[in-house]
Amino acid sequence: MSDIPVFFLHGLAYAGLLFLVSAGLTLVFGMMNVLNFAHAAMYMLGAYFSYSIMLHATGQFWLSLMLCPVILFVIGGLIERFLLRRVHALGHVQELLLTFGLAYIITEAVKWFWGNYPIAINIPGVLNTTIQIFGITYPVYRLFILCCAVIVGLVMAIILFKTRLGIILRAAVNDSETVNTLGVNVPLVFLGVFAFGAALSGFAGVIAGPLLTIYPGMAQEILIDAFVVIVVGGFGSLGGAVIAALFIGELQSFGVLLFPKLSMALVYMLMAAILVIKPSGLFGEKQ
Amino acid sequence: MRRKMLGVLFVLSMLLTIMLPIQAMAQDTIKLGFVDILSGNFKDIGDRYLEGVKFAVKEINASGGLLGKKVELIIVDSEGKPDVAARKATTLIQKEGVKFITGGASSAVGAALEQLAEKMNIIAIGYGWAAANMTNEKCSKNFFRTCLNTDQQSYALASIMAKKGYKKIGILVQDYSFGKEASEAFKRKLSKLSPSTQVVEVIHPTGTKDYAPYISQILSSNPDAVFTSNWGNDLRIFLKQARPMGMKQKVYGYFMNDEMMVQSFGNEDHLLIGDVGAEIYTLTIPTQKNKEFVAKFHKEMGFYPTWLRGKAYMSTMFWAEAVKKAGSAEVPAVIKAWEGLTYDGPAGKMTMRACDHQILSTAWTFEMVQKNPFYKHAYIGPSTAVPVKDMETPCGGEEKACKMKN
Repeated sequence: MSDIPVFFLHGLAYAGLLFLVSAGLTLVFGMMNVLNFAHAAMYMLGAYFSYSIMLHATGQFWLSLMLCPVILFVIGGLIERFLLRRVHALGHVQELLLTFGLAYIITEAVKWFWGNYPIAINIPGVLNTTIQIFGITYPVYRLFILCCAVIVGLVMAIILFKTRLGIILRAAVNDSETVNTLGVNVPLVFLGVFAFGAALSGFAGVIAGPLLTIYPGMAQEILIDAFVVIVVGGFGSLGGAVIAALFIGELQSFGVLLFPKLSMALVYMLMAAILVIKPSGLFGEKQ
Repeated sequence: MRRKMLGVLFVLSMLLTIMLPIQAMAQDTIKLGFVDILSGNFKDIGDRYLEGVKFAVKEINASGGLLGKKVELIIVDSEGKPDVAARKATTLIQKEGVKFITGGASSAVGAALEQLAEKMNIIAIGYGWAAANMTNEKCSKNFFRTCLNTDQQSYALASIMAKKGYKKIGILVQDYSFGKEASEAFKRKLSKLSPSTQVVEVIHPTGTKDYAPYISQILSSNPDAVFTSNWGNDLRIFLKQARPMGMKQKVYGYFMNDEMMVQSFGNEDHLLIGDVGAEIYTLTIPTQKNKEFVAKFHKEMGFYPTWLRGKAYMSTMFWAEAVKKAGSAEVPAVIKAWEGLTYDGPAGKMTMRACDHQILSTAWTFEMVQKNPFYKHAYIGPSTAVPVKDMETPCGGEEKACKMKN
């Protein structure tokens, strides 16, 4: 059973990726009650922007890791200010339809600008090496993904639960009118939240690019995984997303080892079980 | 007034629809309907097939056409959907009088067009649909396959690997009918050729993003080499993640000579060096005919007739041979002429088997190398022949024999 630490590590690394991808989605849902279907499309945009940045400033992975979230922050802000805000009053269905349409537009735009074929991102030397761990060869990049996930999770938790900004955010969710009368610009808060969610998705895109390669179908493929994470974890719950990502990552990894015939169904079986036992997800609040 | 106008328009449009087929039939051409994926995520596949077919049609017409008539290529997009393909093909047959349709991407589309061809009594020609059942239990006298099927392609790779004397082979395939069929055929052949070779099979869902657990699973049994029928993202992401995880074994794959796949590795194309593939067409087939074909294609089109292009070209040329031999573009005559016919093209001789309408052809195996005359990135090295007998299936598959209806 020397395999156990190895498979645990595999699960951990994939959980890191899953968390990075779903963090922005669950944040936006938790704060704004908007189920952002365009989230995965923005993740894909992040990956493609990083490709373009690294093409023009050769090999500047770190630069793209910093720039792409900023670009996505601006795009997210614009989407909130000029599109989402206008349909907000019309209700959730309209918001959902809007982001759904945006996802399609972004995907087609990506095909138009970058072409309808896969492209590669090459990671810098330090990350593109391997180490020996638990008796196997392990790529450093996977550990890097894990580190990024931990850092993002910690930063989000600190902002939300330990800062004045976090108090305003959480208050704005519960009672936006009262917060508004206290002199807080609530629309600006929502704009910031949506833009930050977009920045997170862009960050995840840059990280995922070198591992998965970049192609126009990448958004569609990750969207389902991200939804499973937030359904299992509970819509809008940051802690839930962490636990769910870990759960799913480990389940997929050990599933291969223990129940190879079921590895496709295991995650969905977990989701179905959670929905039966606790329909709001592990850490979700009753709506 | 308005109502009257509408009435007139209606009558006019009725007249036009009635007249169109007559007009179409009056034109003195032989029509070939191209039905393949020209949009969406697999557009690059259909595009490359089309380039091969177009080049063949150009060549046929430049040398005087078929039976004194020009070949007219009519192109429609199957969108990769069986229903769409069947609908558009039906229109081609009814409105344009098309008697030959050709395609290759997605065996689901292929199965729909095979059925349609039988129902409407035309000929469907497959240069890429590989599902073995199309020429086994679902075979039809109206369908001809000009590429290897999954049985044959797995047999080719199994016989190459058996000759290497591997003691243990890892198998990685996708968890759906295609992957399972490819794996079954591979194991069947391998157990005949080299009964002592062990296999370790790993099956993963399509669309897997993290191959780490699967790669660890393969590595823990320490095989000598790995076989995979994966394609598209499932091939690319697996290969991208395998070597950095310490997998040094050569990968023997169905789709190694896809230049787009190699390009997607950027400057990490060294991850592919040493991997092996086998196909009926490769750029490096060492025949004089192939050298001339590659040179001519490259000169006229500006790029190489890689893989899909070469396969679609040979398929279309083979069809033209059958029509020439039939001396008529009528369906029963062409079916009769094509059965048992041999075409001597760039890849050597290929024969259309009468009993199931599946070609028997030499396959060509190659290893991925860094330096090659075609691209700056890694691509295939020299090709060597896999003899026809290594891939021979008993006529009509092993258990599910083809019973051709007449």
